[in-house]
Amino acid sequence: MFAFALRRLLASIPILFVATFGVFWATASVTNPLDALATCNTCDQTAYDRIIDLYELDKPIPTRYLSWLGDVATGDFGTATSQGERPVSEIFWERGRNTMLLALPAFALLMVFGVAAGTYSALRQYSAGDYAVTSMSYFGLAMPTFFFGLLLQVVMAIWFPRWTGWKPFWSSGMHLESFGQYLSSVTLPVLTLMFVLLAGDSRFIRAAVLDIKSADHIRTARAKGLSESKVIRRHIFRNAMIPAVTVWSLNASALFGGSLITETVFSWPGFGRLIIDGINAADLDVVMIVTVTIALLVVIMNLLADIAYGFLDPRVRYD
Amino acid sequence: MTDKIAPSPVVADAADLNELLGLADKPESLGRQAWNRFRRHKLAIVGSAMLLFLVASFWIGEFLSPYEIGETNVIDRKQGPSLSHPFGTDALGRDYFVRAMYGGQFSIRIALLTAVLATTLGTLVGAVSGYFAGWVDAVSNFVINVLLSVPLILVLIIFGREYGASPTAIAFLIAAISWTRAGRLVRAQVLQLKESEFVQAARAAGAGPGRIIFRHLLPNLVGTLLVEITLLAGTAIILESTLSFLGLGVQAPATTLGTLIDESAGNIDTAPWEVLIPGAIVTLIILSFNFIGDALRDALDPKSDSE
Repeated sequence: MFAFALRRLLASIPILFVATFGVFWATASVTNPLDALATCNTCDQTAYDRIIDLYELDKPIPTRYLSWLGDVATGDFGTATSQGERPVSEIFWERGRNTMLLALPAFALLMVFGVAAGTYSALRQYSAGDYAVTSMSYFGLAMPTFFFGLLLQVVMAIWFPRWTGWKPFWSSGMHLESFGQYLSSVTLPVLTLMFVLLAGDSRFIRAAVLDIKSADHIRTARAKGLSESKVIRRHIFRNAMIPAVTVWSLNASALFGGSLITETVFSWPGFGRLIIDGINAADLDVVMIVTVTIALLVVIMNLLADIAYGFLDPRVRYD
Repeated sequence: MTDKIAPSPVVADAADLNELLGLADKPESLGRQAWNRFRRHKLAIVGSAMLLFLVASFWIGEFLSPYEIGETNVIDRKQGPSLSHPFGTDALGRDYFVRAMYGGQFSIRIALLTAVLATTLGTLVGAVSGYFAGWVDAVSNFVINVLLSVPLILVLIIFGREYGASPTAIAFLIAAISWTRAGRLVRAQVLQLKESEFVQAARAAGAGPGRIIFRHLLPNLVGTLLVEITLLAGTAIILESTLSFLGLGVQAPATTLGTLIDESAGNIDTAPWEVLIPGAIVTLIILSFNFIGDALRDALDPKSDSE
């Protein structure tokens, strides 16, 4: 198992290098830090030279990538010019925590509701509940995240208080003064982030459970006299966890993409806003740290999924 | 599955017997069977009708309305939906119905172009890497893994700043990052099919790799690809409208439904219809593409019941 994990991690190193170089190259070639000086009337040649020197703009992009790699290797992630010259690592922890405050509850709810809705609608195929879950997931798949977020925002945080005089949710921003404030500011973004992913997850799990429930070993379990609840818990549910793990590992990157948009809609100060501001300000150090984090997250989630298969499926062996 | 038990009749002659056994009918081709199943699929009918209606109104609506696309009328600005302006007017007094129809045209064009481009690219890469295996396969797998480890929306934002203004460029951009699913699907199917007898027969008859891929393997994947194109068209509209929402989409005079939502998101409280209408249209387009895609998948699945 350990050898397998190590081998997988080693195999993903080239992928990480190529992915980070790709993003570095793309960002460096479409953004230009000198743009910031275009509206500056008092800036003279020394200001330009200073920027050129700071970003090594006179060197080719691969060289700049290598020197960024060298800095990262010594633990120096650079300075965030778009965030008041603060060190990137400091901003990283702050913004990363904020995104986690949004993404982790969404992920937890997604896991619970995805399995619940998918299993329920498969076990009661063609029932009213199944149709409800299926139509909800069709809408979830068809609605862009930002549109669902905007709807939720205007209905629940602007119109609802106007109709009832009661304002349970913040319409935007992150409020951490107390746990209650956190809940009332995080609820709508979490629902937005969850709803769109829930659609895909519950459909996938539904299909998996449908597949399993007509398998021979389920019939055998029933034939030997197991109670229906034991058949569901011990045989159907456990088998359905295998495809569920696949879906969850794929959710990592989707959760990031979704939170980027959700954070924009609800002005949540996380990675999403950070990276958009970073790209707009040609702040390569900021863009890169987010990219590295996401790429690492995807690699780790895939690895965790592979390890989980070993626990869930006795046929899987890592030798 | 649905074999009916024939009510044992007194068989008069061989012609009757053939009819009873279903041998008198000409066997249906797979395409005909699929079409018949598609026609009977409720989602397919709903999806196609909805999509046809939307697409028709996008291209005809402009002519039915007395207003021009760029026509401003400051006196009538920021009006709600009414008889003279079915979708209301925007902050410059432009008729919102005409703008929405115009935006719909661009959204559909981007979606279809993206879907065709991405599916073509994915098919070529998938077929070549599945057929030749070896290092070609290793390279394309590596590229796919790299693309999967970078969030697509990030790549879109980076390039969207530079190339997002043109609808064609957006289509190429979205296609360049969304072909991976088609690539994996085609690769998996080609891996399976290339060992089958008819491919071995073709190879024994002297067919080269190009002929085998294009004449023998890909025709077997037409169903998969049709489904993929429809689903990708929906994905493309989501990505395009998201990009526009982030302010990186097409620039005037071109407009997409996403741009309309972006422009009016700030006024959602006072003029909610300006967000609701384009948003609802986007949702309906994607919904109908997904309906059609799912129905096609059911109809083309040889394992599914023919009824």
